[in-house]
Amino acid sequence: MSGRQRLGFVGSVLALAWRERSVMRHDPAFVGVVVAQPVMMLLLLGFALSNEPANVPWAVVDRSQTALSRQLVRDVGATGYFLAPRSLHGSAEGRELLARGEVLALLVIPEDFARSARRGDSEIQVLLDGADPLSAARIGGIVRSVATQFDATRRSLPARAGPGAGAFEIRARFWFNPTLEDRNFFLATLAGMLLTNLCLSVTALGLVGERESGTYEQTLSLPVGPLEIVLGKLLPYVGVSYGVLAIAVLGAGFGFGIWPRGSWLALLALTLPFVLASLAIGVLVSALARSSAQAVFISVFFILPSMILSGVLLPYRLMPDGVREIGAILPLRWYQIGLRRIVSRGGGFEEVWLPMLALTAQFAVLLLLVRWRMKPRLG
Amino acid sequence: MSLRRLRTLLQREVRATLRDPFTVAVLIAVPLAALLSFSFVLSTEVVSLRLGVLDASASSASRRLVAELAAGGAFEPRRFANREALEQALVGGEISAGLVIPPDFERALQGRAPGGDAPQLQVLYDGAESVLAGNAEAFLQGIATASGAQLVRGGIPAGGVRASVHALFNPDLDGTPFMVAGTFGFVLSFLTTLITAVAVVNERLGGTFDQLQLTPATNLEILLGKLLPLGAMFALDVVLMMVVAGLLLGVWPHGSALFFVGVSSFYVLTSLALGLFFSATSATAAEAVQKTVLASVPLVQLSGFAFPIRNMPLPVQWLAELIPATHYIRVSRAIYLRGAGPLELWFELLLLLGFGVLLVGVSLRALSRRT
Repeated sequence: MSGRQRLGFVGSVLALAWRERSVMRHDPAFVGVVVAQPVMMLLLLGFALSNEPANVPWAVVDRSQTALSRQLVRDVGATGYFLAPRSLHGSAEGRELLARGEVLALLVIPEDFARSARRGDSEIQVLLDGADPLSAARIGGIVRSVATQFDATRRSLPARAGPGAGAFEIRARFWFNPTLEDRNFFLATLAGMLLTNLCLSVTALGLVGERESGTYEQTLSLPVGPLEIVLGKLLPYVGVSYGVLAIAVLGAGFGFGIWPRGSWLALLALTLPFVLASLAIGVLVSALARSSAQAVFISVFFILPSMILSGVLLPYRLMPDGVREIGAILPLRWYQIGLRRIVSRGGGFEEVWLPMLALTAQFAVLLLLVRWRMKPRLG
Repeated sequence: MSLRRLRTLLQREVRATLRDPFTVAVLIAVPLAALLSFSFVLSTEVVSLRLGVLDASASSASRRLVAELAAGGAFEPRRFANREALEQALVGGEISAGLVIPPDFERALQGRAPGGDAPQLQVLYDGAESVLAGNAEAFLQGIATASGAQLVRGGIPAGGVRASVHALFNPDLDGTPFMVAGTFGFVLSFLTTLITAVAVVNERLGGTFDQLQLTPATNLEILLGKLLPLGAMFALDVVLMMVVAGLLLGVWPHGSALFFVGVSSFYVLTSLALGLFFSATSATAAEAVQKTVLASVPLVQLSGFAFPIRNMPLPVQWLAELIPATHYIRVSRAIYLRGAGPLELWFELLLLLGFGVLLVGVSLRALSRRT
């Protein structure tokens, strides 16, 4: 036996992983991504962002000037989405305000409103600023539903008892999120957003940086194969990823009371193929890029469409055909589907086997691509 | 300041940028990719939403109601035999909403006495996807109310007020123009800052920046020599994006195209100056990039690009007003969607001018401090 013994496959991978861990600890950019970003995202998604209309500026042209028309305006205001209305004299003035973007909605109540409303045959006009389509659609719906439920005769109890006007009563219940807060929608997938950033940008930058400074060549000269190098590099990131997952879950839980409702074990299991697939993309990016600047460009412009097309910020089911299918290529799409099933809807392994399978398949394909691109090469 | 020196610097910069095919590819590919991917994703419609139906009534009235819901293409009904199966599908995310029709639905509908209780339908929405659930609710309410009126022959007790709703500037509430106008803000803020930051840091690391400072050129000339060529290239990008958005997506600005290009070019200088500032204050390219990327998170989330600022809590709204991109995106949408001109926008334009002067001044100081 010679004095130096060749390490086995597992031994080499672990040795390289240990080396990688020491490198990571001294990288300030890495600390920024792992610590600063989760806090920033948690605050933004928890407090700041919402699709729910709020503080909507609006104006009213009340040609009727009756108790009944004022009641209707009060009912609209009472929904809580609106600021105090501006009273105008003519609709021309209102259109001007809409054109300047100063109000989002204009309510025009006709002269004969009170009389026709008692007959049950009245109509009001609502003009919206279509320049902001998402808000306009929501506000249109809110005003319409207030109007439909408006009881001109005031015979029955106030509107909350349900629409007295319809042929039947619809009892709506929102599962998993009774008050329909967007916060729950965003924070359920916080881990997915953070892990995409971490796995892609840090891996890609780290690998390219090593090629630039020449330490990659040193590693190549070790008696280990390319697959061992890649795995050894990725292993510590898997560990860090679980740390980030913990930050995301605990932050959403302690900060906003949003704890995973389903199986924690399934959550941990689902995360593994996603992290591996994302890391593999990072490795691939580093193989394609010639400098760290290029690596950053490529990874950033992979991350952004990921955020938009995967469905973490906007529901993917509302996207048009074709665009929706393109999004299915992204690991984040499947991870967010699985996350919502576990975190929001309380699912377990039974509900997430399909996303897990999809993520594993993506990882397998990416691994083949990495093996093909990452020929050990010098220079 | 000498024009001849400036011209030499400009030539140098243009050559350096064009020599690198990667930068040129980024300058063309990224704006177009952003335009195409962002413009499709915002939708106010509800299309082929999977609706689980538990029809315990199994009557002609309930079948008609379900057929009406399916007719518009908004909902794709799937039948379930019992409540457990329906709830299981909701947990698994297979359906977005569940409609439960009670066994006595038809009888209650026909035999309803005037002023008596209306028969009840129960709808369960998947609140995990809050936007989807909100849109679906409005749609389902509308269709069900309309078809309900037809189900009861002889009319329903009168009441309620019809609201005729019209959206100005964008009657179908199409999300595409909104996102196209916003994408200009995104590309011109993020890509510009990133490219400048990386280019300048790389030059500093390569030592060519020190060489420049040894020449008789002043700091202002070096700064302008960097900003103007990049600014010109991004101005070309603006035109490229406008043409592609118009030809491919059918979205042309309602306002003056010339005015829009003018405002955008000025805004480009503002974000280029921000890129210079990041690079002047960073030791390595990685650090400059890290700063740009961290700054881009509030850029996307707080500038109103994807989420209305109005919906944010008040302190966050103030913060959003401090971001130049917020004002540019506001101006860009006003020109693109409402056809606004300089008269309506003078205040926002003034703010943009202020940001521009401030950022160029700050980056100039940061640059001269390094010498």
